[in-house]
Order: sequence, then C-alpha cells, then structure tokens
Amino acid sequence: MNKRLKNSLISLTLIIAAVFVGIFTTNKPVKSSSSSDRTQVVFWHELGGASEDALEEVVNGFNKSQSKYEVVPKYQGSYDEAIQKILQTHGTSTSPAVFQAFDIATAQMIHSKYTTPVQNFIDKDPSFDIEKIAPAARSFYSNGGKQQAMPFNTSQPVLYYNASLLKKYKITPPPVSPTYSDITRVAQQLYERSGHKTKGMTVQIYGWLLEQATTNAGTALANNNNGHTGIPTGIDMDNPSTVKFLEWIHKNIKSGDFINYGSGASAGANQTAGFLAGKVGIFIQSSASIGELTANNKDQLGITYFPHPDGQKANGVSIGGAALWISNDKPKAVQQGAYEFAKYALSPAVQAQWQKSTGYLALNKDSQKEKILKDLYAKNPEAKVPGQQLADAKPNYVNSGILLEGMQVTRQLEEVAMEESYNGGDIHKALKKATKNVNQNITTSNRANGYK
Amino acid sequence: MLKSTTPTVVGSKTEAKTKHRTFSLNAKDKYYAALFLGPSLLILSVFVFYPMLRTLYISMFLTNTLGKTTVFNGLGNYTDLLGSPEYIASLGSTLVYVFAVTVLTVGIGLLLANLASKRLPGIGIFRTLYSVTMGVSVSVAAIFWLFIFNPSTGFFALLSNLLGLPVINWLTDPTMAMWAVIITTVWMNLGFTFLILLGAISAVPTTLYEAASIEGASERRQFFKITVPMISPTLFFVSTITLIEGFKSFGLIDLITKGGPTNSTNMLVYRIYKDAFYSGNYAQASSEAIILTVIIAFFTFLQFKFLEKRVNY
Repeated sequence: MNKRLKNSLISLTLIIAAVFVGIFTTNKPVKSSSSSDRTQVVFWHELGGASEDALEEVVNGFNKSQSKYEVVPKYQGSYDEAIQKILQTHGTSTSPAVFQAFDIATAQMIHSKYTTPVQNFIDKDPSFDIEKIAPAARSFYSNGGKQQAMPFNTSQPVLYYNASLLKKYKITPPPVSPTYSDITRVAQQLYERSGHKTKGMTVQIYGWLLEQATTNAGTALANNNNGHTGIPTGIDMDNPSTVKFLEWIHKNIKSGDFINYGSGASAGANQTAGFLAGKVGIFIQSSASIGELTANNKDQLGITYFPHPDGQKANGVSIGGAALWISNDKPKAVQQGAYEFAKYALSPAVQAQWQKSTGYLALNKDSQKEKILKDLYAKNPEAKVPGQQLADAKPNYVNSGILLEGMQVTRQLEEVAMEESYNGGDIHKALKKATKNVNQNITTSNRANGYK
Repeated sequence: MLKSTTPTVVGSKTEAKTKHRTFSLNAKDKYYAALFLGPSLLILSVFVFYPMLRTLYISMFLTNTLGKTTVFNGLGNYTDLLGSPEYIASLGSTLVYVFAVTVLTVGIGLLLANLASKRLPGIGIFRTLYSVTMGVSVSVAAIFWLFIFNPSTGFFALLSNLLGLPVINWLTDPTMAMWAVIITTVWMNLGFTFLILLGAISAVPTTLYEAASIEGASERRQFFKITVPMISPTLFFVSTITLIEGFKSFGLIDLITKGGPTNSTNMLVYRIYKDAFYSGNYAQASSEAIILTVIIAFFTFLQFKFLEKRVNY
C-alpha cells in the first residue's frame, strides 16, 4: 500500500514537473537556422500590414549588407501595448536588443533608464553624420544635449484638399503655409459654390491635432518648456493658441461648412472615405496617409502645411511616428549591432525606399538626391510638401514634442474637450476641465515616480 | 477545507474514531489529504491566490513608470475612481450591458429550447442550428458581425437601403455601438444556454404534461406552471453564469468597438486592460479589478439569496 502510494506520489510530482517545464520552455527563443556565428539582435516593432513588409525589407537588406550581426524582427502588436511589454521584460532573456517606441512614450523611455542613448555610439563613429538627419526629428528624441533614440518612421500632420473640386468651382487654392482664415475661405466657398453638396472641411477629434495646432501657434502645453528643461508639473490647455484653434473650428461649424466625423479609428476611416468620395473638401491627417490618398483618388490631391493662426508666423509642427531605442540590458556587442542596424535604417537609399513604400518621410537629407524620390516627386509633385514642412521647421522646445509621462491619458482627455467644444460647449470650460484632469494625473504620476 | 473531508475518510478506516467523529487526523490521513489537495492547492496558490493578493496589495499603492509600487496610497485609488465621472459612466454602461445580455440570452434561449423540445420530424436540424454558436470562436464571431454591421456593405445597411430606411451607424454611434456589442454577445452565448436549457426541459417527466393535458391546461399554462418551475435550478445556473460572463466580457469588445466610441462600450474589464496595458497605470487597474470582484461577488450573492429561494420543484 505504502509503496503504491509512494509510486503514485512520485509519478504525480513528475507530471506536475513536466507541466511546469512545458510551460516555461515555450518561451525559449527559436534558434534560427542561418544564425551560425553571427550575433543575434532581437528587434521589436509594431508595424503591421504593408509597413511591416517594407520594414522586413530593411532588415533583410541590413542582414545581407554585413556578416557580423543578424537582426531578428518580431512584431509586438500595438504601440501602447509594446511599451508595457518592453518595460516589463527589461533585464530578462526575452527582452529586445533594439525596439521601436512611439513618439508619446519618449519621456517614459528616457525616465526608465533602460536604454543606452544612441549618442554614445554616434560619438565613437566618425562614419555617421547625424547632421544629415532632419533636425526636427532629431530634437524630438534628444534630451540633455544627447540623442536618446534614432528617429525612424516619421510623419507630419498636413492639410489635404481636393484640388480638382477647387478648380471645378474656380476657388483659389490655399497658400503652402495657410492661416486659419485662408482655410475658412476655401471651405466656405466650396460649401456655397457646390450648392451645399460638398462640405468644406473637417478636423478629426484627435488629441494629436489639438497638440499640433497649439505647437504650430508657438505655445508649449506643458510647463518646464514642454518638459525639455525639467519634469512637467502641469499643463495649461486653456491658452490663447488652443482657444484660437477651437474657435476656428466653431466658426466653421456655425457657418455649416464643417462636418464632424467624431473620434477613433472609424472616424479616421470615414473621413478618408468622405474625402475620397468628394463629400468633404479639406481635412488634416498624418503625411503617412499620402499613399492611400493618391492611389485611390480619381481627383487631384492638394497638400499644404498645417494651418496656423492669423497675424503670426507658423512655429512649425512636431513630428509623429516612432524611434529606434537600444536596450542597455544586452552585452556590448549586441548593443553595437543594434546601433549598426539603426544607422543602416537611416542611410539615404534605405530612407528613400522607405518613404516610397510607406509614406513615412525620408529623414536623411541625402535621400532627396536618390532616384527613387526624384521619380516619386516627378510623378506627384505634392508629395514633396510634407518633407519641406519637416525641413522648414526650426526645432525649439515647443515643437520638439511634449516630454510628459501619461501622454496616452492626456490625449483621451484632450479628445473629450474637443468633443465637448465641437458639440457647441463653451471652449474655455471644456479646456479648463481637461486641464484640471490632466494636472491631477500629472501630480499622481510625479508622486508615484518620486519626481520633485 | 481539510477538515470537511475527514469524516468520510476517517469513518471508513478506523472504528474508534467514528464514534465521536473527531476532526483530528492521523499520520496516514494527513498523507492522503496532502496527496489529494496538494497539487490543486499548489496550482491555485500560484495562479489564483498569489495574483489576487498581489492585486490587492498593488491597489493600495501608486505605481511608477516601470510598473513598480512606490508610494502607499491607502484607499486613495478607490476614492479617486469612485469620484471620477468616467469610471461611474463605465460602471453604468457595464450594468446596462450585463442586464440586457442576461435577460436576452436566457429569454431567447428558453424560447428556443422550448420550441426545440417538441417532438417533430426534422427537429434535430433545428437543435443543431440553435446550438451551433457554441463551436464558433470569439474572433470569428467578431469578424462575422463586423461584416454585418459595416455601414456601406453590411447586411443591415443593405436591408435598410432595400426598405428605404436610413442606415444605422452601428459602430460609430455611442448608443448603437452598445446594442451592437449586446447583440453579438447574446448571439455568442445562445448556443450554450440553449443546449443546457434543452437538456433540462427534456428531463422533465412527461407524465406531468400528460396529467396537465387531461386536466385541460393550455400549452402556455403548462409552460409556466410545469416547465419553468421544473427547470428553475437550471435557469438559475444559466443566468448566474451569463451574468458573471457578462461582467467579464472582453474579447468581443476588443475586436468590435475597442471600448469606443467615446467610451460608450468601455466596460469594466476592458477598462482594466486598457489602464494596465495601454496606460501602464497598474495601481489604478488593480483597484478597478478589486472593485469588479466585489461587484461580481455581490450579484452572485444576491442571486443565491433571492433567486435560489424561488428555485423549487
């Protein structure tokens, strides 16, 4: 009896052990057949669909260009979720050597101290000229005079208009860098002259656009120079620049030429569909949409810079997109491999091809000399505009992004304020409420992180 | 837990102990108890008890950028949540959703089960059809319904166009998005509910119906006076399960609305996920998880307290 019991106990233990071993071994990295003696550099990214294909081309190109390193790309889902995965796996064998983190996670990444600034590698590498990279993109990912991450897939918000419709109704197109009233004029003329068949304009309820409007008018939302000279302790959304932006939209809503598509991914898709169908003449969106807007468009596409308030100069918008960061929990050789990959990804030819296949902007100044881009511009001259806007922007604290943790929550609250104001609510009241909620969140976050 | 199992084990083994039903264990019994309970206790404590206690612990702190607990905040996270209009709105929409899903699932399930319990030729086909959603995965169901809800090419849009009615924006209008999620969930749950209720109805003795027919009771009367009371334990079980599943609903929401538009379908569980894995606010997410646990426990308790009393034959 006892013996049988003992035997059953042993077998039970074995089964449990087997189950646990089974659970914990599934995470083991799969050995690549071609790895041989190359140093493996695991690369986490969040690009799906066509952009993922283009990214894999970049990775394959790098792997073929040298024999020391092998970059292994791994798709990690959405930008937001990837940030948490990166932070929570740091220091374990599963963590990546190089990863893509989106614009609004920059403060989080810097404060985590989990990364090696790319500046450290650039300083030791005379063959790489950082001056060739677009200044507005560089300054977005630098802090304390150091390049923290390598800007990678980069876009700019631009204004799109239906050039064919403008021509049809004999409306003078807006200038390259339009003011709010330039756009209002075009929108109202389009609405009136089309016999109210075509709405003049829309601006999606999207926090990014509110931030960009404030930036382009030269105002920093967060204090401490948008977080570039210290941890922000508060923001002020009820500032003249943000108010002017919402007042501009209010004015167009009142005159009937504005159509509201709401917020979220479906709103984005619906406004694009509306624009392509000629139901709305003007909208603001990321420059990365340019491919979609030229490929499926029977009408001619017009593009201008992001609009700015009347009676002042545009400050220039900040970039959107993501950068490549190098984890500091990997051996030196692996980190060097990560840097080599980032450097390769930023080389002129690779960036030119990248812009052509994804719509993200080529960041290397020399890319403009590449045949791929010259051909692209010859076929579609408007495609030049986003790149010009990027090149024109003189980086300052205002247009180098908001270095604030908890930007995800901030965006949600900005969108609530936009929604309230679009629905006819008082602009100051909506912005004051959003400011209060964001500041409460900042206070809690700073307390949790021990920032003074 | 250990003690409640002892009398039977003890009783069969030693004569002396059975007399005063003592709860003390001899060495062999302890051995057995450890043998049988050990594995499940081990797995439960690693995968259930530890995470539960850890969640409770985190909910009393603030967490920093790295997700680590830093400042003790007592009940601060809870008071912040309960004072936030967004959270209360989320709670409200969850209650609406759970209530609608439970009532509709059990109601329609009962109706279908009652129809399918009739002995008619070819009824097997209908039984299979009604229970088929049990075999459909959440992602397939979500994609299937997304096609149906599509405002330009979906089935509902085509139907509206055919009838000359305005097209409903199922997924962009806040109220309709809630209905879209409810309809999809009910559809998903129906197969299981139907099957369980059909089994219960089939188990009701036919003699009861025969007697009622002789007495001249109508079918309707038979349904309410015989079928419903006889299957009430199953109805109770099914509604409890549906209610709890409703509170825990995640997959369909993630795939169909992602909590939008304007947070109208941002149910409690989805909110926890977003706060933790999108915003990285683990402290707040943990507090939300604890509040959800309390709510589910409360509703389960209510159901046991009031519904179970009315469960009788």
